Amino acid sequence: MAVDDLMAPGDVSRASSSPIGSAPAPHRQSPWVRVRRRAGDVLTIVALLIGAAFILLPIFWIVTTAFKPPAEAFVIPPKFIFTPTLSNFSSLLSGQYNQYIDDIGHSLIIMAFSVGIALLLGVPAGYGLARSRFKGSGAITGWLIVAYIVPALVYIVPLYAIYQRLHLSGSYLSVILYYLTFELPFVVFMMRGYFSDLPNDLEDAARVDGCSRFTAFRRIMLPLAIPGLSTVTILACILSWGEFFGALIFTGSSNLTAPVAIEEYMGQTTLDWSALAAAAVFLVVPVLVLAAFVQRGFLRTASSATQG
Amino acid sequence: MATVPALVVVTAIIAVPLVIGIYLSFTNYTPVRPTFSWGGLVNYDQIWTSPTIHAAIKNTAIFAGAGIVIEMIFGLFFALLLARKLRGMSWFRVVYMMPLLVPGVASSVAWSVLFNTGNGWINYFASVVGLPQLNWAGGTHTAMPTVIIANAWAGIPIITIILLAGLLSLPKEPVEAARIDGATELRVLYHVTLPALRPVLAFAALFQMVNLFREFAEFAIITGGGPGLATSVLNYYVYQTTFVFGELGLGAALAVLLVGLMAVPLLVIFKLSKRGSAPKWAS
Repeated sequence: MAVDDLMAPGDVSRASSSPIGSAPAPHRQSPWVRVRRRAGDVLTIVALLIGAAFILLPIFWIVTTAFKPPAEAFVIPPKFIFTPTLSNFSSLLSGQYNQYIDDIGHSLIIMAFSVGIALLLGVPAGYGLARSRFKGSGAITGWLIVAYIVPALVYIVPLYAIYQRLHLSGSYLSVILYYLTFELPFVVFMMRGYFSDLPNDLEDAARVDGCSRFTAFRRIMLPLAIPGLSTVTILACILSWGEFFGALIFTGSSNLTAPVAIEEYMGQTTLDWSALAAAAVFLVVPVLVLAAFVQRGFLRTASSATQG
Repeated sequence: MATVPALVVVTAIIAVPLVIGIYLSFTNYTPVRPTFSWGGLVNYDQIWTSPTIHAAIKNTAIFAGAGIVIEMIFGLFFALLLARKLRGMSWFRVVYMMPLLVPGVASSVAWSVLFNTGNGWINYFASVVGLPQLNWAGGTHTAMPTVIIANAWAGIPIITIILLAGLLSLPKEPVEAARIDGATELRVLYHVTLPALRPVLAFAALFQMVNLFREFAEFAIITGGGPGLATSVLNYYVYQTTFVFGELGLGAALAVLLVGLMAVPLLVIFKLSKRGSAPKWAS
């Protein structure tokens, strides 16, 4: 019965005036309809809670295990109430996994350079594709989409061979160049969407007043695009921060990134799961903090991507 | 003009290796050998005959096929729920975005421990509600479902968020009109909302299909392609061939095969999305 209500996306419009989605005009509806609607709301919340529990489970495991005394980390039934400890983090600093802090540094260096270059090249490109409909702009957009879609493997294999020939294996440059293969198309594509949504008038007015195209871009369009630009920057940083496949192949012991370090710890025979969870906290928590900032921009990004 | 630098870089770091990769796929190149020779179709012949590669192709099809169906169904379900206007919905939306951002390595480590046979939480929860305890990642028949579940953890929210963005940008009038005409909610969904959502559904399916074909961290961390060949998918197998066993020529050929195989479902989804067009008001 209530399934009908449960499946109704249109409630967005109907319930917009009332806070809990109850019927807007009660006198026109029978009590039965109201009961059904309320039941639908309850079922919606229950289903979403189940989904949220599934989503939060691994995150909950990482965070609680990181703060649990190692002796209690693996008891069954799981201990959900425990005295939190920082001992797992201290073993990241001084114990078996003391390389990890350096590895986080490597991740940050690679992130800063690859995202910086991607923005430097990608933002003007996105602007160019959005503003001037020149011949072949459609083809360029298509090529960027293809570049983004093709599995990394297809060019990782030859890149690996090329890097070896050029003695670039294990260098920062090799990793950063590889990261550009996905960050640059991402930035161009996203910024194209943002710039297309901005009104033309301001830029045109600036041009009429004698601004050069570049000045108009720098003084007018770029400031207007800052909300989108910051979302895209954060998302590109997250892409770089969590990247694993390329880092596994292209980094050496001197510039291992945090995700690769975690994977290597997992292969060790004397595995300290609690320290591993503490290491994972460093991967997850910064991302979730950043997520708070992009929350709004995120839906917009998703919707502008689908319009491409 | 502004696009030129980006275009040059993208072409240099993607197109050039792409061409070299296709060339390498016809050679017997390995990093340890200084010289290498044209091998003709040797690598492709090996693909044609090797049972391990056939197993990898089959596993890829199972993983991507089951993954996309499960993730699209649940993704649409949760997107429809999240599009409703209820109190606290913004909190749910934040939670459902989290898996898109969490690094795959971190979630894979967590799932690998949660699915641990002896003292993982999943088996504990199963025993609490009276379900059998399984040898998840270690069992021949349960390893693939384990990875599919771990993948769905990120895949369902990806589709949910894309579809939610689509749902929220649909015009409201047609839904209201249908409702005033007395259509039930289920009918509104089937005849108004879903047809209008069609391009977004296609985009979500294409996007996630690509992700499924290139999934790596879950296989590397949760199963390592095993037990035996149970979860040896093409992407992971190419990694092993190329970077563990050093056969770059064969790896390059397998990578070409992967793209060819990926094109099939992408073209099918694309064709399906074009069959019959979305209602005019939705575009």
